[in-house]
Amino acid sequence: MSDAEAPAPSASADPPAVDPPGRRELLAAVLSFLLGVVPAAIGGLFFLDPILRRKTDSGSGAGDQTMDGFVKLDITPENLVEEGAPVASTVIADLDDAWNRFKDVPIGSIWLRRQQGGEIVAFNSICPHLGCSINYRRGENDFHCPCHASSFDLDGATANDTPPRDMDSLEIVVATDGRPDPNGTELWVKYQNFRRGTPEKKPI
Amino acid sequence: MAFILRGAADVRPHESIIMKALIDWFDDRTGFKELMHEALYERVPGGARWRYVWGSTLVFTFTLQVITGFMLWSAYSPSTRTAWESVYYIQHELTLGFLVRGVHHFAAQAMVVLMAIHLIQVVIDGAYKAPRELNFWMGLVLLQIVLGLSLTGYLLPWDQKGYYATQVTTNIMSATPIVGDQIQTLAQGGTEYGHLTLTRFFAMHAGILPTLLVAFLAVHIYVFRRHGLTVHDENHAPETTFWPDQVLKDAVACLVVLAVVMLLAIFKGVELSAPADPSVKFDAARPEWYFLFLFRFLHFEVVNKLGVTFGAIIVPGIIMGVVAMMPLTHKYLGEFGHTLNKSFTWLLGAAIVVLTAMAIIEDREDESHQAALAEAHRDGARALELAAGPDRIPVDGAVELLRRDPFTQGPRLFAKHCSACHRYNGHDGRGTMVVDKAGIAAPTAADLGGFGSRDWMRSVVVDYANHFSWQKNATWFKDAQKAEAAGEDVTYLNPDDSEMASWADADSLRSADNADNLTALVEFLYSEADAGYKPLDADERAAFSNPLAADPALVGTGRAVATEGAWAGDLQGSSCVDCHTSIGEDFVAVSDDDADGYPTLAKYGSAVWLKDFIRNPGAARHYGEKNQMPAYSPQQLRDDELDLLVRWMTGDYLPSEVHDYENRLEDLSGSLPTSSSAGSSAPTAAEE
Repeated sequence: MSDAEAPAPSASADPPAVDPPGRRELLAAVLSFLLGVVPAAIGGLFFLDPILRRKTDSGSGAGDQTMDGFVKLDITPENLVEEGAPVASTVIADLDDAWNRFKDVPIGSIWLRRQQGGEIVAFNSICPHLGCSINYRRGENDFHCPCHASSFDLDGATANDTPPRDMDSLEIVVATDGRPDPNGTELWVKYQNFRRGTPEKKPI
Repeated sequence: MAFILRGAADVRPHESIIMKALIDWFDDRTGFKELMHEALYERVPGGARWRYVWGSTLVFTFTLQVITGFMLWSAYSPSTRTAWESVYYIQHELTLGFLVRGVHHFAAQAMVVLMAIHLIQVVIDGAYKAPRELNFWMGLVLLQIVLGLSLTGYLLPWDQKGYYATQVTTNIMSATPIVGDQIQTLAQGGTEYGHLTLTRFFAMHAGILPTLLVAFLAVHIYVFRRHGLTVHDENHAPETTFWPDQVLKDAVACLVVLAVVMLLAIFKGVELSAPADPSVKFDAARPEWYFLFLFRFLHFEVVNKLGVTFGAIIVPGIIMGVVAMMPLTHKYLGEFGHTLNKSFTWLLGAAIVVLTAMAIIEDREDESHQAALAEAHRDGARALELAAGPDRIPVDGAVELLRRDPFTQGPRLFAKHCSACHRYNGHDGRGTMVVDKAGIAAPTAADLGGFGSRDWMRSVVVDYANHFSWQKNATWFKDAQKAEAAGEDVTYLNPDDSEMASWADADSLRSADNADNLTALVEFLYSEADAGYKPLDADERAAFSNPLAADPALVGTGRAVATEGAWAGDLQGSSCVDCHTSIGEDFVAVSDDDADGYPTLAKYGSAVWLKDFIRNPGAARHYGEKNQMPAYSPQQLRDDELDLLVRWMTGDYLPSEVHDYENRLEDLSGSLPTSSSAGSSAPTAAEE
């Protein structure tokens, strides 16, 4: 990479000076600089692709974006008992990974619960602290992350000082044939991951 | 080279002349003699000493890493569907693969240890003081590079352990102020882990970082030579030169390192946990042991209160900063500064030891972590077993092998869907006791640990009341008993008071005359459950001999007992078919109108029976109105999940030698139901 020691144009057998030495020095310096910068720039930009690409691919993320980014779950609303234990559900969708598209594979896992009053809430099971997986503890009746002991109440609110924010709630829609319908029998979730370790919930 | 030099003096005259001419010619063209002299005859004032060996052991260990690393590279394939697979192939199939990978793995750890020793010694001996401060800083850069190599290498096998532990590290990167997001995205090759994470980590691990390491190491050694050894005591022994006295000591030390690394590689071995699966929670995630102190530090709530950036970036940054400032501390504070530096090093070392010990001890005592570890080992061993199995690894990767494996998925599905009421050998299917606020929760339905086995069948026949007694813990059972006691007419399943239990009470069932008949009946019932692996591939099926197969001769006798009542004594003529009319026939999901009023035993315990039962336990062909088990619709338990669960329960998977979860029925002894009851009738397996 470094061209600081790149061989300078031969200086040993100096013919009688035609150009003033200052010009040759300048030319040699400019050429050496270009010889260093051009390959470094090409390599560098290639390496920066993940950042540069993100700007052109408006909000990529996990594959199958059925119904405006919502993914249909296997589980249905009647499987969720009011104020019952949270239910884990695997989100299955197409996953694009570089040159591959994996059809219908698990792309993540969420926790679902019907709150008092009947409202259904969904949380990403990834811990907002440092990205391990959050479990439901039957004994404590809370959410808990086994890596750094983050704890959350069943409504996703932090229960100790470890996590920087509440569990990441996800948009969830009750629907019929893919159209929102409060009495429907389908559950659709907008599965997203969020930046970890920060107090603010920022999609990635 | 050293041997050539040495040898030249010892050979016979005419050879010596030719050799000398050759050496002179070569030296004239390259000047290597001077270089060798420079390299080998460095002054060692105070004599060769063991305390000087650490730098050399590091260079040796790095060389070891380069050699084994290049060899691993020649067989490794970085992508999410080939990384684990190629590492499996290296470890288990290639010649000496286990040793090459083992040496690489343990030498990496040795490097971290040696580096720590080297650093501590440099501080103690004051080798960081002017004019060596630049070299000290270069050493710190080398330290960072080695840690970077460990970090990037940990992910490359793409197993659950490396995957989840590295996730934490890249998430920590994202906590870097301002540019954290970009750093993380660049390291991962995108917003999420995938193929590019591996290709980029691999490029860092095998290309960029080693190149930087070599470059810095060359300058580090050059500058070290320029300033010479930091001699602790010049009068320790007469001055000598690097070759041969110090080289001998260095070589012995390197040999010890090599021996330790090889012994670890051979006798301890390197783990390859299950292939990475982002959708499978991995609760056993821990960093490599030399990062455990940082892991434990991030456990303190007070640290987290100040933010991840503080705990994982600012504090380690400050520590590195203090270490980097050591030459200046000495420069401005003199010997007091040196004492400060030494004290800081010892304190830091002690803190690291204490935090590491805390992490290890706490994990050892943490039951849920131990359970997670047990599951991780089970999954890992199973993945290896499947990869080596008759179907080898499919193109869609080893992760799919596990996703389609009943032995792996069955326990998880059981824990998720069944363990609220049932247990499996006392635990939740995954080796963990089910707890509630009061402690270990009592099961409220049958323990399905031995479901469909000979023991199970025998127990159902002769010990019906006890076999299904767990359900007496259920609220519905207690409510029904109360209602019954209050004189209400309730229909519910009471194992103590059922037709089956009273039939099984007959003394002649246990008489010696019927012992063979009972054994035969049990064998027949067991054969109906049709346990064992049923390979999908026709050739494989033909070649497979089922170790779980029933004894055909006994089955014939047993069938006669079940369908014709071929008992001795009082039971003669009383057959199972009297009530369970379809016993011995193929399973048919008869409509409620056509049911005989008793649970169907047609292919009882088999996959087809189980699937129908789980979907419709309340159908008249099963437990009708006495049923208490919720029906599992495809919305709750997909068809493929039901298939995996049922195949696990009926042993229909590639037979496994993997150490399974311990039987924990004893841990449940406190929650055995005690009351026997008055109540109504009928069989009870209702909550299966």
